[in-house]
Amino acid sequence: MDSPVARAIKALFHVGPILFGLGFVAPLTAQTLAALAIDAPFGLPHLTFGILVGLGLGLIAQIRGRWI
Amino acid sequence: MSARDLSALSDAELMRLERDIAREHLGHFPYFVVFWAFANLAVWLLLWPLVLFGVLPLWAGFIIASVNVTLSYLPSHEAQHDIIARPGERWRWLNETVGHLSTLPLVLPYRVAKLTHIEHHKHTNDPALDPDYSVTAPGPLAAIWRSIRNRQPRSRGGLKTYGATLVRLDRQDVMLDAVIYDTVYYGALFALAWSGFALEAALLWWLPIHIALTYIQYYLSWAPHHPGNETGRYRNTRSFRAILGNIGSLGMQYHVVHHLHPRIPLYRNPAAYWQMKPVLEARGCRVEAL
Repeated sequence: MDSPVARAIKALFHVGPILFGLGFVAPLTAQTLAALAIDAPFGLPHLTFGILVGLGLGLIAQIRGRWI
Repeated sequence: MSARDLSALSDAELMRLERDIAREHLGHFPYFVVFWAFANLAVWLLLWPLVLFGVLPLWAGFIIASVNVTLSYLPSHEAQHDIIARPGERWRWLNETVGHLSTLPLVLPYRVAKLTHIEHHKHTNDPALDPDYSVTAPGPLAAIWRSIRNRQPRSRGGLKTYGATLVRLDRQDVMLDAVIYDTVYYGALFALAWSGFALEAALLWWLPIHIALTYIQYYLSWAPHHPGNETGRYRNTRSFRAILGNIGSLGMQYHVVHHLHPRIPLYRNPAAYWQMKPVLEARGCRVEAL
């Protein structure tokens, strides 16, 4: 896989946990809180809190190499 | 006919008996599995508009999707073994269509599944060469945990082994299928989530895939080969009694017949097993559970 597209995809998959945290866990957290009518801590908007959670969990998973 | 009756037979005579029985079950068109492939995919696709437009509650969609994704593998498995039609036969296009389409919900490319599965058959329980060996575990709970751990980002087990197998086979071209599937899958998940449908994406696709992979790896890879320490043709697979029965175990109670004669359709494995059992006993197969 030598093409620029291939290299870009490879680089994206390399940081998969962070991308997954931001791309999926963040909005999922925000929308779960909203669906359950639960306020985010510190008066944060749901999405801001979701991004913090998604990015945090994604970073941890990226470093540890596992989510659980 | 009992194992004792057959113990005096030579290997060649046992093989002839085994093949005669197998031949009775070969060449039958698996109508139901073809219906299963398309109906299962149609139901899963239909869940999306039904849930998104509020016709079906999300919790119900989640249960149905989990069943759908779990059931999506077996029709492809029949196609991987050319059971619907062999190369050059009239219905070959249908075999390949079922193979490609049925595992879309599972995000498992047909060519990847087929190449690695054939390697699993060639090298069952070989730690270095069996792509499914990484599910080996000392017990049921350990097998479930192993399946989950194999899906972690830096794990080298589970489906991650498939990439190494394709490299060993010098079929890196097929890895492109997996890259495309994964890119589309994660792209769709992210797009749905950021469009306000994160819960729907999680419960109709993401979580059902994890449930399905755990279930499939437990019943298709772990249970029939446990404890995974023998590699001989007649010892690498066993029959077993599943708590959920043969249907609940996705037809795997009689998996020993599948490994001996992979082109027998799934639905005929039980009948073939009972006919073949004296031969299997004479061969020293692990068939004591059924």
